Parts: sequence; C-alpha cells; structure tokens
Amino acid sequence: MYIPEADFEYLIRTLSEARSRATELAVSIGSRLGGEHQLTQLANAAAFNIENTLREVRNAASDKQESAPGLADLQGALQSEFQPVTPTTSPIGLDPEHWLHAFVDELLARARVSGGVTFESAERLLQQRKDEYLRDFLIARKMYRTYPQLFPEIVDATRTGIAP
Amino acid sequence: MNFDTRGFSNLTRKATEMMLDTADVPNVLRSRLGEQHELTRAAGEMVASIETFVRELRSFDASAEPVVTDVYQDL
Repeated sequence: MYIPEADFEYLIRTLSEARSRATELAVSIGSRLGGEHQLTQLANAAAFNIENTLREVRNAASDKQESAPGLADLQGALQSEFQPVTPTTSPIGLDPEHWLHAFVDELLARARVSGGVTFESAERLLQQRKDEYLRDFLIARKMYRTYPQLFPEIVDATRTGIAP
Repeated sequence: MNFDTRGFSNLTRKATEMMLDTADVPNVLRSRLGEQHELTRAAGEMVASIETFVRELRSFDASAEPVVTDVYQDL
C-alpha cells in the first residue's frame, strides 16, 4: 500500500482548508443559534472529524517520510548528482545570474537538508523569490526616480526613444 | 425561541463548497489503502458527518426562508 507524495500534498491541503472552513462555520452558527443547538453540534462534529482525519493523514505522511525505503540512498544520490553548479552560460540560454539558477540551487540545497522536495516547500520558496524580486524592483524604481543622474544610460535611452 | 437566521444562505453555500471539496478524500484513500484501512474509514466518517451537517443546514436554511405566496393562485 503506497500513497504518493502528491496525494499527501492534496489530502493535507484539502483537509486543512476544510478544517478552517468548518471551524469558521461552527463559530458562525454557534454565535447565531447557541452552542446547544443541533446545527452547532453537527458543525462541531464535522470540524472534529476533519481535524481527526487531517491528523491521521499527517501522521501517515510523517511515518512514510521516516520509513521510506532507500531514503538515505536517495539523499546520497541527490548529493552526488547535484553538486554546486559553476555559474556558466546555461545551455538553454539563460544568463548565469538568472534567478532560476539560484532558485534551483536553493531548492536542491533544502532537499539535501530535509531529505526531499515537496510542492509546498517549492511553492514557498518561489513565493519568497517573487517577494524579493518585487522588493528589489520597487527599490530600484525609487532610486531611479530620486537619483536619475545615477543612471545616465537609462536616461539617454529614454530620451532617444529606445527605453526598455 | 427566535434565532437570527440572517446570512444562513451564505453559510449553506460555504458548507456545500466544503462538502464538495472533501468528497473525493475517501476515494483517494480507498484507491491507495483499500476499503478496510483505518484512514479510509476515518475519511468516510468525516464525509458522512459533513453531509449530515450540510443536509440539516440546508433544511434549516430552507425553513427560515420567508413563505412566498403564489400571486397567480387566486387568478
């Protein structure tokens, strides 16, 4: 019997969202009808059952991670296969300083530490990258507006109509 | 006893969405672990309790709706 990681991801995400909704519903109904009303008790029972299932799924997921056969081998393979990449021009034409290189490197580094890559961890890391990019972009724009003389090449390009 | 029934349509809609979102959970577990596995049974109980809750909520919501008189009834 085997549950793929993608299924665990789906189950945990679905049940987490359902738990939040059920709790919110139970509180809303309880505040309207009172804690003793049958509907409030049914809402609480649903929330309890969701919480229970979520806990068991999480336990199964963590058990699987701990007892996964060949996990050490997989980790070793990751470590040997994904040595730090010397920044060179990418075969797919990406600049060596492109964010994708840093993203992949960091994802693999985390995989080596935690023993695997999950959709959630990849999403979280990508979101961090997006936030950092947006922050840097806003700072750069503010600098350009405040000190345009520091960016003569951009000012010249704008004047000649070939601005980016 | 008077209850505040405002907003129950919205709660019913949210509960129905929750029921639809979780409906497939037992199927996934059944296909991976089998019918008799503890997790599959827990998920089945969970879905059953959500369905009962939504059914009662719908019933309550419907009974709270104001009665609309058929205006053509007496014509």
